[in-house]
Amino acid sequence: MEFPLKRVDDVIWELPRWHRGDMRVPVRVLADESLLAQVQRDRSLAQLVNVATLPGLVRFAMGMPDMHEGYGFPVGGVAATLLPDGVVSPGGIGFDINCGVRLLAADVPRAGVDSIERLVHELSRSIPTGYGRHGRLELSGDEMDRVLSEGCSWIVRARGLGREEDLDHIESRGSLTDASAATVSERAKQRGHDQLGTLGGGNHFLEVQAIDEVFDTAAAEALGLRRGDLTVLLHTGSRGLGHQVCTDHVRIMDAVHSRYGIQLPDRQLACAPLSSREGRDYFGAMCAAANFAWANRQVLTHTVRSVFTRILGRGTELRVVYDVAHNIAKIETVVGQRVCVHRKGATRAFGPGSSDLPAAYRDVGQPVFVPGSMGTASFVMVGLEASSEVSFGSACHGAGRALSRSAAKHRVTGAALRRELEAAGIVVRCASNEELAEEAPVAYKDVERVVDVVARAGIAKRVVRLKPIGVLKG
Amino acid sequence: MSRALEEHTGEVRLRLQADSLPGLFEEAALAVAELMCAECSEPGGGALPVRVGARDREALLAAWVDELVFLSETRKRVWSEARVEHLTDTEIVATLRGFEPVALRTQIKAATLHDLRIAETAAGSFEATLVLDV
Repeated sequence: MEFPLKRVDDVIWELPRWHRGDMRVPVRVLADESLLAQVQRDRSLAQLVNVATLPGLVRFAMGMPDMHEGYGFPVGGVAATLLPDGVVSPGGIGFDINCGVRLLAADVPRAGVDSIERLVHELSRSIPTGYGRHGRLELSGDEMDRVLSEGCSWIVRARGLGREEDLDHIESRGSLTDASAATVSERAKQRGHDQLGTLGGGNHFLEVQAIDEVFDTAAAEALGLRRGDLTVLLHTGSRGLGHQVCTDHVRIMDAVHSRYGIQLPDRQLACAPLSSREGRDYFGAMCAAANFAWANRQVLTHTVRSVFTRILGRGTELRVVYDVAHNIAKIETVVGQRVCVHRKGATRAFGPGSSDLPAAYRDVGQPVFVPGSMGTASFVMVGLEASSEVSFGSACHGAGRALSRSAAKHRVTGAALRRELEAAGIVVRCASNEELAEEAPVAYKDVERVVDVVARAGIAKRVVRLKPIGVLKG
Repeated sequence: MSRALEEHTGEVRLRLQADSLPGLFEEAALAVAELMCAECSEPGGGALPVRVGARDREALLAAWVDELVFLSETRKRVWSEARVEHLTDTEIVATLRGFEPVALRTQIKAATLHDLRIAETAAGSFEATLVLDV
């Protein structure tokens, strides 16, 4: 089914509220003609229309340029509900709560490193995948509660895995104060107790890169990014703990939403008013899972730093540039309203001047990381003031899938892709060729086009481009 | 009895078919094991008894898969053999046997309620579709 979207600005398209009788707000999509044609081919627009039926929504339900079909919310979906009685929907955040991206910058130029193969190999040996037991940080019950309540700061201060200044460069300093460990189930804690410091599977990855182009010198300088230097991009989330938190609370809300008079076109959109007990319990558990995810990326950062020191020598510095969540709900003020912003596969992109940004970045805006597909470039952008009005202070979170995993495997074999990447000078570590093919560049949208739409929409601007030189696939 | 993957841009959509409802749940367990490991080993060790409850038949299928994922993650095993002992629309009692995988292929996060359907065909067999977050 083709959706009759009308252009309302250069790259903003709208489906009016009267498109379907149960919609409460219009749907808006950020796209150029090519990306719009791609989202018309899967079910992402139908899912966004379903999102537009949620009680308490303000303004519109929005799709980012990397939007694709998900479950409940599309991936790349953003929606804001008015406090206090607008709903919170666990499906609007997803199972991988605070899945996100952290960028580390090394003070060494790519040209000075002749051991990339060894570096990537050592990273793959040191970072646990699968069910193996090495390299994980195991937590006692009390320690788990501290991580859930305090997030990254506990990892840095109590475990000594990192530095105090790391915290300054993490969204919300890696700790949400609304976290409630008591609303996280024992099953969730059981799943997470030995998962800190693990990458996980799917599209999670660690990439070693070189900064190959600077678009905005002043912003790059503020972020400490220099052409030619090495960077490391980490993509992972809250692992089994976050998955279980979502599972538990979807089940609870699936049972109670009708009590609040809520009718849903999709059970996965199960929700409850944020002011209700179920809403508050989920929000507290979600914040706790978000803290766990930041702690996970902090432990991984420590591992990466250890490997860099081992391979490149003592004195090699790896600085946290920033760490962003792209599956999360946050209470924010947008265009004068206190709202709960659901970002499912979308990055916060506050413009300059926001008090939520670290002092060092307050003049340039929030860093936004846009990973490309395996083997293609990634981008560092910074949020612009207009993002508040245009997109609830949000931007895209990556290139966005264009093909299913099985379709990708029909287009390319893992062995051919491995050869192609190696010929391009990219060291690859992935357990199987089949998994490699599932994440092939052909399975993703053109990241340059996605970034171009974000820039044209005025919600973020390009700062630097990162070229991959080593990939460890989770 | 059959299991197949259908097109889904971001996740995995399972289509299951079986002669009976218990067979459908056993098929779901096999599909989960095959997703997790390309080649399943012979199950070993003792049987693990499992009891799962949910609001209705569809939610029970999702909860069953979630239980398999939970038990895989916490016990570091893949469950390649499931035997349903008792099944109603709101409860399943089963036993599981599995193996310790050398490596995992697809790590499943959870079963979703999105597009979740169980239907009885005119011929009396059962079909289900289930989207998994991977």
